[in-house]
Formats: sequence, C-alpha cells, structure tokens
Amino acid sequence: MSGSIAYAANLSVTPAGRIYAAVKPILWLAVGLLAVEVLVMAFEIRPYYLPRPSAIASGIMATPGAYLAGLWRTFLETALGFLAGSVFGVVMAVVFHRWLALKELFFPLFIVSQTIPVIAFGAVVVLWFGNTLFAKAVISFYISFLPVTVNTLLGFSSVDPRQVQLMRSFGARDGQILRRLYLPAALPQLFVALKLASSLALVGAIVGEWFGDTTGLGVLLLQAMYNENVVGIWATIVVSACLGMGLYSLVSFAERKIVFWGGEQ
Amino acid sequence: MTAFMQTDSARQISRGIAGALLVAAVWEICARGLNLPAYILPSVTSILAGMAGDLASLLEAARFTATESFAGYAIGCLVGMAAAILVTMIPSARSIVLPLATAINSVPVVAYSPLVLLWFGIGMASKIVMVAVAVSFTIFLSTIAGLDRVDRKSVDLIRSFGAGRLAVLWRLRLPTALPLIIAGMRVSTVRSVIVAIVTEMLGAYGGLGWVIYQAVLQIDFVKVWAAIIVASAISLAFFGAISFVERRYVFWSKA
Repeated sequence: MSGSIAYAANLSVTPAGRIYAAVKPILWLAVGLLAVEVLVMAFEIRPYYLPRPSAIASGIMATPGAYLAGLWRTFLETALGFLAGSVFGVVMAVVFHRWLALKELFFPLFIVSQTIPVIAFGAVVVLWFGNTLFAKAVISFYISFLPVTVNTLLGFSSVDPRQVQLMRSFGARDGQILRRLYLPAALPQLFVALKLASSLALVGAIVGEWFGDTTGLGVLLLQAMYNENVVGIWATIVVSACLGMGLYSLVSFAERKIVFWGGEQ
Repeated sequence: MTAFMQTDSARQISRGIAGALLVAAVWEICARGLNLPAYILPSVTSILAGMAGDLASLLEAARFTATESFAGYAIGCLVGMAAAILVTMIPSARSIVLPLATAINSVPVVAYSPLVLLWFGIGMASKIVMVAVAVSFTIFLSTIAGLDRVDRKSVDLIRSFGAGRLAVLWRLRLPTALPLIIAGMRVSTVRSVIVAIVTEMLGAYGGLGWVIYQAVLQIDFVKVWAAIIVASAISLAFFGAISFVERRYVFWSKA
C-alpha cells in the first residue's frame, strides 16, 4: 500500500512528527465522527437511515458482552480458517511447483474454482460439518487458500533460473533451494495474498454464521436486520470493521517484520 | 491468473480438460460407489439431470443475478475510477481519503448488506448498490496504485514539453495505470457475482442466491449444486470476457 509508505516516510522525521503521524488518523476519525453527529442532528436525519455515532456507541456499551462474545467467536473461526488456508495454499504452491504435471492437471481447476461464488457452498459445508465453529473455519479456509496458492506460484516464477543453477553448482539440494531461494523470493507476493485472504476469511466466517448459529457477528447482523434494529446493525458493522482492520494490520505488521527488504510494493 | 493466460499451448489446455474430467470422474465414483445421500454429495450426473429439469427457473434466476452484477459492476467501476482520478488530481484530499478508503475496504462488505437491504428494499436496487460498493473500492485502490506507478522523471519530461495536468493524466498516467486497473476489474468480476448472490440470500424476489437459500430450506441439495454450477458459469463467462478485453486492448501490460 502506498499509504503505508507515506506513513513510513512520516515516521522517520522527528519525534514530534512521529507522534503527530500516530495521532493524526485518530484525530481525523474523531473529527469525522463529530461532523456526522452534528450533521445528523442538524438535518434531523431519522435513525432509520443513519443513527448518531453516539447512539451506536451507547448501543455497543448497552450489551458489551454480546458483541465481545460475537467478536471472539468470529475471530476464532476466521483465524483458524485463515491459518489453515495460508499453510495449505503455500503447500499446494510448492507441490504444483515441484510436479509440473500436477500443476497442468489441476491448476486450471483452481483458477476456475476461484470464479465460483464460494459462499454458495456455505450451506453445503454447514450441512457437512454441522453448526460448529469448525464448519465456519472450513468456509474461511476454502475462500482463503486460493489467492495464496496463485500468488506464491507467481512469486516462484519471479526467481531467476541462473540463481537456481548457481545454487545447484554449489551442490544445493532441492529442499535447500526451496527454503533459501524460492520461498524468500515469493514472500512479497505471498503477503499481498495474505492481506487479501485475511479479509476474505472474515467474510467467509460471517456468511457461514448466516446458515445457522447462536453466537458470532454474522448472527448479530441477522438478528438486528430481522428486528429492523438499525443501531444494532451499525454497531455490528463497527465491531466487524474493528476485527477486519485488526486482522489486516496484524498481517501488515508481520509483513513489515518478515519482508524487511520491502519487496515490490 | 497470469499463468492461466499463458496456457496457450494445446498440451496445457488438454491437460486442464483432463484434470477436470478426472475430478468429475472421481466425484461420480465416490458419490455412486459409497452411495452417498444427496445432502452430502450428489453425483455429477444427478446434478446435471437436476439442472436440465429446472432449466427454465434456473435461467430466470441467472438472468436476475447477472443483471444485478453487471449493473453494479459498471457503476462501481466508473465511480471507483472517477474517485481515484479526482484524488490524484487533488493531492491534499489524498492523505484523508486514502486511509479512510483502506479502512472502509477492510470492513467485510457483507456486513453492510442488512443495512442496504433496509435502505433500498429487497428488490434489485439493493443488490446493485451492494455490488457497486464492493467493486468501487477495489477499483479505487487499484487505480490509485496504478496512477502512482508513474515514473517521476517521465512526468517531468512530458511537462517540459508543455503538457498540462490533463495531458499528463490522459497521455501518461492512465496508460501506465491501465494494466493495474484492468487487473482490479478482472478480480472484481468474481467479487460482483459473489456479492450479488450473498445479498440475495438475505432477501430477494429472485436470483441464484434466493434459489440457493430456498433450496437449503427445502433440503433440496441437488438444486443447491445446480445453482452453484450456473453461478460459476456466469462468473467464469464474466471473468473470461474481461480477460479477453485485457489481452486484446491492454497489450502493453506485462504484469
């Protein structure tokens, strides 16, 4: 993201600038919320269309337990599916890379399956695994591994064949070439996919909960919608937003730590 | 995805078809051999038979979903690109708009769907709005990334020949950005169909998502699979069309 580069540039100026850069987004958020609050009051917009931010906040504070429980449950489903999906995605990429025949047989299917509205499977998966945490994790898993495989393969293809020959000439085995050359070379592309996969996994978990569950952010959304409780919908959107941004920044943080050489972006 | 585009050689295509047939055969053998009930895994042939039986209603639903996705997609692309160009032209807006857009984009799109359903009703309008929202953010971010790719020195050069802001945009920035924009458009095709279907599941008068939801309630899993296959056909065709445009008209793209 070019935005994070701009931030990084800001960060390295002065201590005061650093504090300003950290506080600035929060400051703008506060200003924005205040503006919405004033606008809603000034134009007397009905809560049905847009409730006041303070009403949403007090809606969350009224029953914090329900939102926290939903947040935790959805987080577990997403994290489980995302981690499994990422590992499986990288493993599939390595397998496809190692055995070209397998890649030619099945990679087109992978691509085709990427165009399948995966969420339609939600119903089937919930039926297979029951109304469990595991079923939602499976949906998240299925949604998130495809981009990881595609991008890891893309990263592998960026390796210079001369580097492989060089390592071979020094007697490096396949496993060593994979670990020392291919995987590090694929990391920048891999993280692009991981960022995408983290938000996809969250969507998978929320939609999975629509097919029947008792806790979770998806359940809260449905309940609020059936009760036409607009404040409740907004409150759940805010909580989902926090979860989404939290996951995204966690992956971005890992990216900055692991891909310290910056990669392509 | 790029790998898919380079598979022009006949061998790779035939291998791909062989892989698909292999999976279908294993599926059929599993479903029939293990005598799996339809709610676990219906056989491929029974799904195809179900599709043939329900063809009229499935096509009607497909028309519904396709209309919603195309309309939302077109609106989303236009809005996303226009917003990105505007933000690039007005640098001071950027530092506010970009973090905001990234933040809104990280909210799972489906979280908005109950709200949009309440606002726009359960007709087609709500689905078109949802698709447009989902697509416009992707297009916005990829357009910004593309417009930023321009080499500073190229801008200086074209400026030194007396090009104005609009000329820089039209002759330099947009052509440089186009490969990334169309890559975003390609990814968004699939996303638009998914979002339309998901929103239909929550409430609609018709469409594939509605068919899937009803079939789940009636425990008719052959119909669920039939609708999934029709939905995949739509998004595959949509994806293929945009990929074709990409290869045909964005020939200078190498990524």
